[in-house]
Amino acid sequence: MPEYLKCKDWWKIESFRKLGKDIILGTVEIDRAKCKGCGLCAGACAASALELKDKKVKMIDVLPACMSCGDCVAICPRGAIQLKGYFQLKRYFRYLDRGEPSLPRKF
Amino acid sequence: MNEVKEDLEQGTKSKIIPPESGAPFNAVEEVIYRRRSVRYYQDKQVPDYLIRRILETGRFAPSSGNTQPWKFMVIQNQELIKEMSRDVVKMMRLLMKFADYIEKGTWWKEWISKLFQRFSNNMFHPVPAAAMKLIAEEKLGVWHGAPTVIFLLMDRRSAGDPMVDVGISGQNMVLTAHSFGLGTCWVSFCKPIGMMPKWKKRLGIKFPYKLVTTVALGYPRGVPDGQVPRETQAIDWYEEDGSFKVIY
Repeated sequence: MPEYLKCKDWWKIESFRKLGKDIILGTVEIDRAKCKGCGLCAGACAASALELKDKKVKMIDVLPACMSCGDCVAICPRGAIQLKGYFQLKRYFRYLDRGEPSLPRKF
Repeated sequence: MNEVKEDLEQGTKSKIIPPESGAPFNAVEEVIYRRRSVRYYQDKQVPDYLIRRILETGRFAPSSGNTQPWKFMVIQNQELIKEMSRDVVKMMRLLMKFADYIEKGTWWKEWISKLFQRFSNNMFHPVPAAAMKLIAEEKLGVWHGAPTVIFLLMDRRSAGDPMVDVGISGQNMVLTAHSFGLGTCWVSFCKPIGMMPKWKKRLGIKFPYKLVTTVALGYPRGVPDGQVPRETQAIDWYEEDGSFKVIY
């Protein structure tokens, strides 16, 4: 069971379970000790999946439509965000012929 | 062969030597690896000379048969950008009334969105569909508040695939902008602008030109450029000795 299905407000979106079969959303992990709440990541997020709460940033509870683009990881001046789960599609739109994600490699 | 070698030695041009294996990234690679789409801009306007420099690199992109089938439009009028975004939001809202497969609708809504997806699977791919919903709800700005928007138009009469040529020239400009420390974002939610007669007339988009895509340009807030992991795609490799391998 993916992590975001465990969140408590899933019933607010009726077709959430159905969506979970087709799409695995990306997840980021936020180091709450390093986060100073500058809000740069929340502003940069394309999916509005991050929000500021009590001067700390966190992923929204209801359907954080994260596509693991990594903009928040790159913009964070303190390196508090890490990509954990990668966006994946299933059925017709599934990604083909892909390996493990990695940083630019030197050959 | 010897004559060629002598020419190179005598000429004013110097030959670029490829890097050794495992050598550090050069400046161009560094810009490419660190480029991120910027969606959070400062209000500060980009000076004209920088925009001219960026557009100049777009002019020198390779194109099929050297047809150079592009036309650029620079829009810095904030009122115009706001008005266009408002119309895009309106169109997205209208579209979401018919095709929205994220929120559960009535039976006909689901059916129509499936149909849309079947006939235009690129535009109704789950990712842009979710983004269109965010735009309709005004959670995501169309041009993310960028002070400058560059419209990329193609000449329909051109050779080969003019859309690809326009994309190549656009990427030239984007990489140049990032090497100057500016931020860019490719925005193709401008499609309603290219379709609405009102905007076509106002912006003077008529045959043979067609709006392909837009690039938002501006000074970013914070330092968004940085390396992040990307997926590795399979590469089919047909080797010289006739063998075949797949690498990642």
